[in-house]
Amino acid sequence: MRTLLATVAIALLGARPAWAVLGQGMSSVSSDQQRLKGRLRSATGEGFSLHEITAADGTLVREYVSPAGEVFGVSWRGPAVPDLAELLGDYFALFQQASRSDVRRHRPLVVRTERLVVEMGGHVRSFRGRAYLPERLPVGVSASAVR
Amino acid sequence: MSGRRAVTRVRAHGRAAALLAGAVTLAACGSSSSGSSGGGGGSLNNVQAIEVGLGPSGSLVNGLFTSVTICVPGTSNCQTIDGVQVDTGSVGLRLLASRVSLSLPRIADGNGNAIGNCASFVDNSYAWGPMATADVQMADEKAPSVPIQLINAPGFAAVPSDCANGGTAADSVSALGANGLLGLGVFRQDCGSACSGPVSRAPAVYFSCPASGCSVASVPLQSQLQNPVWLFPQDNNGLIVSLPEVPAQGARTVSGSLIFGIGTRSNNGLEGARVFTTDDVGDFVTTFNGARISSSYLDTGSNGYFFLDSDTIGLPPCPDGDSDFSCPPSTVTYTAVTTGLNGASTQVTFNVANAETLFNTGNAAFDDLAGPDTGDFDWGLPFFFGRKTFIAIEGQSTAGGTGPYWAY
Repeated sequence: MRTLLATVAIALLGARPAWAVLGQGMSSVSSDQQRLKGRLRSATGEGFSLHEITAADGTLVREYVSPAGEVFGVSWRGPAVPDLAELLGDYFALFQQASRSDVRRHRPLVVRTERLVVEMGGHVRSFRGRAYLPERLPVGVSASAVR
Repeated sequence: MSGRRAVTRVRAHGRAAALLAGAVTLAACGSSSSGSSGGGGGSLNNVQAIEVGLGPSGSLVNGLFTSVTICVPGTSNCQTIDGVQVDTGSVGLRLLASRVSLSLPRIADGNGNAIGNCASFVDNSYAWGPMATADVQMADEKAPSVPIQLINAPGFAAVPSDCANGGTAADSVSALGANGLLGLGVFRQDCGSACSGPVSRAPAVYFSCPASGCSVASVPLQSQLQNPVWLFPQDNNGLIVSLPEVPAQGARTVSGSLIFGIGTRSNNGLEGARVFTTDDVGDFVTTFNGARISSSYLDTGSNGYFFLDSDTIGLPPCPDGDSDFSCPPSTVTYTAVTTGLNGASTQVTFNVANAETLFNTGNAAFDDLAGPDTGDFDWGLPFFFGRKTFIAIEGQSTAGGTGPYWAY
């Protein structure tokens, strides 16, 4: 990240955090500011901008926004798993479909489709994961940027 | 994970049988038990049998199981539940309510509202249910009045959306792959101080559940899910997971031991094991393929080694529905270095075999099953074969220092 644009303290509003939504516009990041119990830090990087939100419970969510203003990746880390239905938005149905299995997998979850990649890991007290849209990565940005 | 399924057969003791089991246990206390001597504390069995098998669902590869006896607190009204998965990636005893025949007292908050607990698992499933209290016994070790979770208890509040998170409910034998989970990680409680502080900062783990609906709650440490080992009257500073080696093509079942206490008896000394202390979430560092991976942990509840992604290390994922696992054309041997917060480090060599070939053997226990991950290094059950792995609980003192640490 080259430039740290802003560090904004957000007032304690709303009951639980809501996150920007994969595949949607910058405004979904902005709307978080109205509802979050936490801090938002934004930065501009090589080919994308990064918005980092620390929720009151310590969960860190990063949102990756393309120059066209679309959220193409999100990542999270914290003591609990954030609401993936909120984070993944329209892609959540695809996630559920692709992660369904007829036998129980006792392992970190990996979902790989052409349109959506989701990876989750961790253990009690520390969960992490990331999701991105392979077809929506900005030019020159690799998937490893979403971390 | 293999595609096999089998009809589930669960042994659920009736009350009369449970009382009989309690009587047998009491009788056993008076006699000499194997493997325990020294310490000046008399003879007491601190060794609990464990087995790697497909488990009560008949479908879990590399599941580590044991039996747990629970009792109504302070009574001899007890029940033994088998097929409970031993999970060092979580903390606390969680039992499917459908497998519990005892009527256990529930835990309520200061307003008399029931407390619910939410467990999140990394396969995006969750376990939800009320907190209850039971005496918990394994071998001759008995922890009194332990807060436990009853998963999917009839009549209890519906799962809050903060808990479900759009995931699937691990609320049955087939969905959980077990009759319960015995969380024996390095912590005393599942959540700890994050859940006992201001409710505004509490993660969605504990919920207060009045009739109007559940909301996230702050719960005192002593009412949270507990690692039962640290509540034993003795041998309470940690435990050992001891499993023998398995052949490259796996084994149908593997028998081993949980040994309670570290350095408290003649059978649980650290001997030559190296101590790796952890960070505040129980992780250490693994250096592998030129990368330093700080989120590394030992997890009997993960059924393989899960590390890096297939693009990074060139291990092809298995085809079809098994892409969660790796399918190299022939077995690959890797070496990684594990490093504790204390700077101690050691090399670990491990094999990755073709997962489909392994599954086709029909075996249940494999020391060479692996799959991709990103960011973490999850040393799952394969790590535990052929060695003793020590788990020292936070705040508990041992000859190797104060927990939390892993040693091997």
